Amino acid sequence: MGGQILMKRNATTFLKNEYEELVNKNLDWKLRILESGSTPHSVVDGKKVIMFCSNNYLNLSNHPKLIQSAVDAAKKYGAGSGSVRAIAGTMKLHMDVEKKLAKFKRTEAALIYQTGFAANAGLIPQLVGKGDIIISDELNHGSIIDGVRLTKADRAVYKHRNVSELEKVLNEADKKYRRILIITDGVFSMDGDIAPMGKIVKLANEYGAMTYVDDAHGEGVIGPEGRGIGAHFGIEGKIDVEMGTFSKAYGVVGGLIAGSQDLINFAYNKSRTWLLSGSHPPAVAGAQLAAIDVLETEPQHVKNLWENTKYFKKELKSMGFDTGESETPITPVIVGESNKAKELSNRLFEEGVFALPIVFPMVAKDKARIRTMMNAGLTKEDLNYTLEKFEKLGKNLEII
Amino acid sequence: MIKKIGFVVNPIAGMGGKVGLKGTDNVLDKAIKLGAEPISEKKALDALKEFILRFSSKNDLYWFTCAGAMGEDELKKVGLTKIDIVYSPAKKRTTAVDTKNACKKFIEKKVDLILFCGGDGTARDIFEVVSNKIPILGIPAGVKMHSGVFSISTSASAKMLHEYINNNLTIGDAEIIDLDEKLYRKGKWDIRLFGIAKGIVEPTYVQVGKSIFESVSDDEVKEELAEHIKDEIEKNTDYLFLFGSGGTIDFIAKKLNLKNTLLGIDAVYDKKVVGSDLNEKKILELLNNYSKVKLILSPIGAQGFILGRGNLQLSPKLIKKIGLDNIIVVSTPTKISSTPFLRVDTGDKKLDHLFAEKDFLMVVIGYRLSRVVKIQTNNF
Repeated sequence: MGGQILMKRNATTFLKNEYEELVNKNLDWKLRILESGSTPHSVVDGKKVIMFCSNNYLNLSNHPKLIQSAVDAAKKYGAGSGSVRAIAGTMKLHMDVEKKLAKFKRTEAALIYQTGFAANAGLIPQLVGKGDIIISDELNHGSIIDGVRLTKADRAVYKHRNVSELEKVLNEADKKYRRILIITDGVFSMDGDIAPMGKIVKLANEYGAMTYVDDAHGEGVIGPEGRGIGAHFGIEGKIDVEMGTFSKAYGVVGGLIAGSQDLINFAYNKSRTWLLSGSHPPAVAGAQLAAIDVLETEPQHVKNLWENTKYFKKELKSMGFDTGESETPITPVIVGESNKAKELSNRLFEEGVFALPIVFPMVAKDKARIRTMMNAGLTKEDLNYTLEKFEKLGKNLEII
Repeated sequence: MIKKIGFVVNPIAGMGGKVGLKGTDNVLDKAIKLGAEPISEKKALDALKEFILRFSSKNDLYWFTCAGAMGEDELKKVGLTKIDIVYSPAKKRTTAVDTKNACKKFIEKKVDLILFCGGDGTARDIFEVVSNKIPILGIPAGVKMHSGVFSISTSASAKMLHEYINNNLTIGDAEIIDLDEKLYRKGKWDIRLFGIAKGIVEPTYVQVGKSIFESVSDDEVKEELAEHIKDEIEKNTDYLFLFGSGGTIDFIAKKLNLKNTLLGIDAVYDKKVVGSDLNEKKILELLNNYSKVKLILSPIGAQGFILGRGNLQLSPKLIKKIGLDNIIVVSTPTKISSTPFLRVDTGDKKLDHLFAEKDFLMVVIGYRLSRVVKIQTNNF
């Protein structure tokens, strides 16, 4: 006869409670299900839509060469890699990608991480520690912020893209700290504007500070051949850490860093995320290899992306929409109050255009917007159809 | 649930301004003789009209107010109907006593927020009755509006009221500051910190997911600031730390188990309080015994003053002795986001100039987290 065991606490009720709290506040993620590939015309929750919120800028995820290369690699080397990179999971294929990438980025060396987040969360805490300072743009992306949180370094933020404020912080930090690390997004994902990397690198050199750019939305998009932010400013190899991702314009998945051989040697020996997660399956590496190849040999994708972007921006502006300060294929359509942005997004979806609203507190209260992400695979007809819907709904909702 | 607003207008607020009296405390007759005209009614009407037109339907709120020019007239003029008159002033010409009596009624009625129209003096009268029990929002209409309960304009008041009703704002500290008018008219400049009221403030948001932000309460941010100061004290064991006045610094000191004076300056060495509520003379005496000193300051009031409002004990002589580089400024992010500058008015031109030359200060806004904020020393 067992006596009743007095429960000290309920170990797991918080799971349900906290989830329900999110649901009540309408803060839970309602996942949209893609029933097709991520293509310019996708099927989302059973509805055919024109895709304006994927990061698949160049439509490479559907490129025959990438698919073929993934299939070939899987057939030849199997479905998985068997280990972490450091022990027995480094295949020649991984090394080939890194070599090709470094050549493409015009840097001494490059390293592939499992994801972009793994790159930031693994490398940033190794670059600085106690007695050091990280200086960060106030609008930096979340994965940078998490990487920064894992360090014992002090942190200072400067106003978005404001180089003179950055200099003030550098001047102050110069006296007090051992190492100084400046971190910024390359292309900012909410507004589509670009960090003034040329000026930042120049300042960093004056003060002996390291530079680290998260170019997730710039890789494959800006600079000649889509070679990223270093190429965009003509400072290839001069940014200490050029970090990016294979999951956006490259059309695959995976994080990357490009820089000096010293950086790469340091990074793979010290990044815990890199050391402790399994390496990419051969199919992923195969597709990455093909993605770089396509960028090098088929300039039409980047060209199409920019032509589409320019046309779309121009037309939106001529209709009277405020498209902010964007310099990239991320075009915000600023509509004002949050509810209006949500309403516009819902109605666009009904009309077959999938573009997400971005509302406070991600952006200022009166700057709620629809964020559109251009795709090189969209045709003029697609764009005209979308523009027509924007114009019609914009008038209905008294935005224009 | 429909929110209950206590609404009070100080009909004579702001009348001293145009005639150069820096307030109407006890000198109303003189102000009227000099040609002063009432301005608070118009300011209150502007704010209410904008609130109704831009943000609200008329039945959103339940209003408790005072008869006549102290609130009733204004609410009725803009067409509000859910009004309950809870207090009637005895005479036509109202005084501070009427404001205070109205507030006592607001407490009885358990209002959620007191919305008032007036200046620093009115804020002080309200604070004397409600303390930090009910949040206060001020429509600026006085001559002096240094207190943290004021929004920056009538239009901003309307917007804040709207955001408050929709639970987009949180409750935070708001300093009650007022110039001692009697001393001022004798030629003495003495702006005092009278207490820390509750105001409504923009919450701080932290990114917790790719596109998910969570609002963080003022207290959570202040706990981070306390952690930061704790590290500073542990890192600099040979320093005397002077804790400035105000709610943020008081919170930090209490978190560190230090007895602190909310409205005064305290000294801490080796994690122990070595001086409480110090005046200039006593601080100078301490500085003779402790050669290394750090001074912790936080912006006070609506305009971001770190020196010259509410802490006149920190004289120019003292500040020079401590050294600008030994000043640690701490602030919740909301407080510095509501003012574009930190302001310094030490009363010593040379010292003000030293601050002006610095051009900016690094302000601690979280644990080991700081940002650049510009300093302004004149033309405000």
